[in-house]
Amino acid sequence: MQTIRKQLALVHPFWWWVAFLLLPISFGLFSGFWVFYKGLEVTNLTDGAPWGLWITLDLSCIGLAAGAFSLSALTYLLGRESYQPLARVAVFVGLLGYSGALMCLVLDIGRPDRFWHGWVYWNIHSMLWEVTMCITLYFSVLTLEVFPMVVELPIFDRFKRLRHLGHTVHHFAPLLAVIGMCLSLLHQSSLGGTYGVVVGRASLFRATMPLLFIVSAVAAGMAFSVHMTLIVQWLKKRTLVPMPVLFEVGQVAGAILLVYLYMRFWDTTVGNYGYSPGRTEAFTSLMSGSFAVSFWSWEIILGGLLAAYLLIRARNNQSVAMLLIGSGLTMGGLVANRLDTTLLAFTEPLTEHPAVTSPLVSHYFPAWTEIGTSIGIVAGLTLIFSLGMRYLPAFRGEPDELTEEVVVSIVGAPAPAGD
Amino acid sequence: MSTPTKARTREMTRREFFLLAAGLGVSLFGSDRLYKWFMVHEDPLGEANESEVNKGGPYWAMVIDLEACIGCRRCVYACQATNDTADSHLWNIIIEDEDSFSKPVFITRPCMHCEHAPCVEVCPVKATYHREDGLVAMDYDRCIGCRYCMVACPYGVRVFNWDKNDGVNEQVPTWGTPEIPRRPRGVVEKCTFCAHRLDKAAERGLTPGIDAAATPACCVICPTEARNFGDLRDPNSPAAKRLVGRQSVVLRSDLGTNPRVFYLLPNEPA
Repeated sequence: MQTIRKQLALVHPFWWWVAFLLLPISFGLFSGFWVFYKGLEVTNLTDGAPWGLWITLDLSCIGLAAGAFSLSALTYLLGRESYQPLARVAVFVGLLGYSGALMCLVLDIGRPDRFWHGWVYWNIHSMLWEVTMCITLYFSVLTLEVFPMVVELPIFDRFKRLRHLGHTVHHFAPLLAVIGMCLSLLHQSSLGGTYGVVVGRASLFRATMPLLFIVSAVAAGMAFSVHMTLIVQWLKKRTLVPMPVLFEVGQVAGAILLVYLYMRFWDTTVGNYGYSPGRTEAFTSLMSGSFAVSFWSWEIILGGLLAAYLLIRARNNQSVAMLLIGSGLTMGGLVANRLDTTLLAFTEPLTEHPAVTSPLVSHYFPAWTEIGTSIGIVAGLTLIFSLGMRYLPAFRGEPDELTEEVVVSIVGAPAPAGD
Repeated sequence: MSTPTKARTREMTRREFFLLAAGLGVSLFGSDRLYKWFMVHEDPLGEANESEVNKGGPYWAMVIDLEACIGCRRCVYACQATNDTADSHLWNIIIEDEDSFSKPVFITRPCMHCEHAPCVEVCPVKATYHREDGLVAMDYDRCIGCRYCMVACPYGVRVFNWDKNDGVNEQVPTWGTPEIPRRPRGVVEKCTFCAHRLDKAAERGLTPGIDAAATPACCVICPTEARNFGDLRDPNSPAAKRLVGRQSVVLRSDLGTNPRVFYLLPNEPA
């Protein structure tokens, strides 16, 4: 007994973390299997509320992955070379985010066996078609961007050609950054456009949706990369990205968040002037109805104003805590925004035509299958992120103020550095 | 990729100037060609612009008289039997409206078959499309079940096959017999204006709206003739005749969808 306990104590905390993550992952796998087997009847989605938690998670994943394109653009196109370590983290986070989004979509569509139809049967008038094409293309770009990091792993020592290919691909990083930026500028906005063109849903039908989506995504995506880097640095006790860079990017994210809030303010104010059927009811619900808590606390106060303040002030105060909390709140604000936008459209009366009482009012709360798969997807992404941060040479980082012995005891002896 | 800093202050060489001018010229010419090519090959609204497709053919429309409808639900049952829909997948629903007029009315709601159909515009795979005659149809073999069309439809006419429809159809055979196969799990479906009947009309020598076998089941079964179907371009069709002299509305005309379902308003007491 004593020896088992001793041996367990020798297990690195990382493996406890992996074991812990395997619980939600297996639950997610089971729920996912159940959804594929039984069909979407095991969800709480209805004809009135056809999109729910999965679409929210999908939008959030893509929004938070926006750090990949914006930081790559800053690094490779605007020449902020010092951002490169952070851009690498952002690209890795981005790849995981888009994987999560694609998983959500495959779960959400009624015929997962026909996932490829979007590539074969084009409807160039459809925002969703454009999103499908862009997301899959950008997923390949991210894969190419992560590929050079992966082939640096020691197990690829034997495959010289593969590693050489990795170097070649890395050589084209600026080109990939351009393609990635173009694709992201398209689909980050057209995700908002997907909602914005829906003429029948008063709370969605706004020309500002694409702009609001991309600006919030850039702010939250940058903040999210900073957030994850801070957590990894704290756990690894090593420096992946120099703190001045993190503070600087945090400030940029905070400024963009303020721009977003400014745009949102005028959009909300002007867009809801006077009475318009459906839209005004949705607006009331957002301001003082069932969405008020989520809107005011998460979107505006915590995830908006406070987050922007913390992100911007963190640099002057040299406060890691402010940066960590500020970036985390920004992330929460984005998720709340995507959730509110999606659900508000389906839970409000849409129309009061002289001849029709609307049958479209719906109530929605996700079923266990939706929650289970969503938790599973998040846990799976966290697992791959953790493994990547532990093993990929690109994220080995520099030892910080701790002594070398302590570092070795925590993360193991460092392998010889790669490229 | 990056230009050396020195080059920024250097003047443009003759070679560069010619290259730039040629590039501009080619791109101007190219964009003009491209634009013309698109204008010829692709109507800006594409399949969404039905009026381009349906030139001169019949203009199928349904006219529903709110004064005549007694809310007997027979159109709902006949639709369910003919198109073999489950109880939860009704294509034609009935709404009791007690507030809009001086007396309660029953509003039955099929698909509007809009000219500018939001569902057709948004479908990522063209699984929902305008037929040659302008009706909005579904390709169940192509639909991926993303449900964007359900988000986009302002009328809520679209239903999704959340589960496999393998139950007993209670309305068969009392109100009709299934004429089209059941749709698989995971695709969206909706009212077709009984397009399978319209398509057979010509070869059977029947006139839709007049001959029962070529008219939507809901219109055939209506005991009070509240639902009328026909070609609005033919002044003698039941639908066209019914519209004469009555005040009619289409639902949500503010959206510019231009529906093919017209509602005749109930008579108000003088």
